[in-house]
Amino acid sequence: MPENEPIKRLLAAIAFANDQVAYKELFILLHGRLKQFAYSILKSQEEAEELVSDLFIKVWEKRDQLTTIESPLLYFYTSARNLAYNRISKQKRQQNPSPEEWLVQLNSIYFDPEQLLVTEEMMRRIRQAVNNLPPRCRIIFKLVKEDGLKYKEVAELLQLSVKTVEAQMAIALRRLGKCMHLEISALNLVNPNTKKS
Amino acid sequence: MSLLFTTNDLMSQEQFWVSFSKKLSGEASAEELGSLESLIREHPEWQFAIQNLEDLWKYQADKDPANGEDAYMLHLHRMREMNISLEGIPGEKGSSTNPKKRMARWYWAAAVLVLLTGLFGIRSLFSAVTGGDEVAGQVNEISTRPGSKSKVQLPDGSVVWLNAGSKLVYNKDFGKETREVTLTGEGFFDVTKNKEKPFIISTSSIKIKVLGTAFNVKAYPEDKQTETSLIRGSIEVTIRNRPNDKIILSPSEKLVVENDIAKVESGSIGKIKKTGNIVRTELPGISTLMAINKLKYNPVDSTVAEIQWVNNKLVFRDESFGELAIRMERWYDVQIDITDPRIAEERLNGIFDSETIIQALDALKEFIPFKYEKDGNNIIIHR
Repeated sequence: MPENEPIKRLLAAIAFANDQVAYKELFILLHGRLKQFAYSILKSQEEAEELVSDLFIKVWEKRDQLTTIESPLLYFYTSARNLAYNRISKQKRQQNPSPEEWLVQLNSIYFDPEQLLVTEEMMRRIRQAVNNLPPRCRIIFKLVKEDGLKYKEVAELLQLSVKTVEAQMAIALRRLGKCMHLEISALNLVNPNTKKS
Repeated sequence: MSLLFTTNDLMSQEQFWVSFSKKLSGEASAEELGSLESLIREHPEWQFAIQNLEDLWKYQADKDPANGEDAYMLHLHRMREMNISLEGIPGEKGSSTNPKKRMARWYWAAAVLVLLTGLFGIRSLFSAVTGGDEVAGQVNEISTRPGSKSKVQLPDGSVVWLNAGSKLVYNKDFGKETREVTLTGEGFFDVTKNKEKPFIISTSSIKIKVLGTAFNVKAYPEDKQTETSLIRGSIEVTIRNRPNDKIILSPSEKLVVENDIAKVESGSIGKIKKTGNIVRTELPGISTLMAINKLKYNPVDSTVAEIQWVNNKLVFRDESFGELAIRMERWYDVQIDITDPRIAEERLNGIFDSETIIQALDALKEFIPFKYEKDGNNIIIHR
């Protein structure tokens, strides 16, 4: 999962040493995710590929300015969203799709049964539960789990409150928990605290 | 010895899931993590699901680096067509002579290697967990020594916590047609639902049929009684030699069967009937061999003493020192000999969690006047 710190180091290497190896490293680190993110808005693989390329051209051209960014990950996703919106309004002369209309693919639910201690039946239910997540919940879950964005970054990118992100994440996890027979039903679970006498 | 105190810290269902997802995504504060952890620890029946959610969260789909490489080639090609060059980088074709650049390249290669090792490390960790417990032959046998405990995942996803000095046996073809296990000792079962394949547990004196539920079975051969405590769901218990008489337990009920019952000749017990919490048989003498009690939830923290061992706590409520000593023998892997029957009859309440055997005995001495001598694993208790 890309974290901000390694990305910051790569951006610094690109800006201060014109380091092409770092540039390539950064491209490969973020390409798949950004392409998927762009695809969810543009709904075209070809255009998504082009968008990522455009975004990295911008990174190269503006490399001197990118070293001071607090959250480069948020910068990349925000730029991708803006580039996608620009494309849609220029070429298609359509309204920009709201996050609810994005086509979000989730990768990490296709896990290897050998690696997780769950039954075939349970995995089927988990996939189904993930597929049935409401659109907004789905995009938030993906951005946090697969893309490694912090709640604050997701909130900023989707223009929501952090509380909304929290609530949507809780919904996603509760649904997954249900697949594993975990239902926290009592409304007044007491939290005990054992102390030595 | 520990006493229980309560912080009246209420956590709603919604708050649980908010905190849990924050924990997974690294957003939770230390305080939040603390109260979540202690809540989870009090609910051993959640542990299977919580472990799975944590594993699922950690698992990342395999990346296809070749895809990224291809895309990067296309990207460079596109830049050249647009007449944007990666100016000032002599090493574009990989012929860098600048030692600093070469160092940088090594640095990134090492970083990738570390990343890959990380991925494979997780892989082998998982296979180590699934590959365990296998014994040559037709049966799988999992046993715990006195003083140790174990958590086992069965092929159907059911989870069994085995207390000290216990054994769980199941066939290699478990789950194909039936789900049958044999238990000696104590186990807490969290059984996954499967109506077509009931889960059956046999002990030396009873048989328990389950559809999907969580419960504790205590069936040590050296104990006088076999105890079945149902936490949730519903189970059907038959006494050995009496396959047609079924006792259905409801949540929060505990069935206590004197192990001598299995010795009573088949057919001589008469019909077993359960009315409310009372078990009746046609032969009045036999009904003293069984009892159904309500599980007592601790009013302070709503825990059940019967399953606290899963949380590494030895809980005893109104138990005689004699009974407790047998449990302490298994818990601490020691031999305890109480020479004075009056001491053995003293009744005790309390919890041990991190205490050593010495600390535990010293704590008990505060309540019962006794002396003890410890020689290796042998402890002699006298007045």
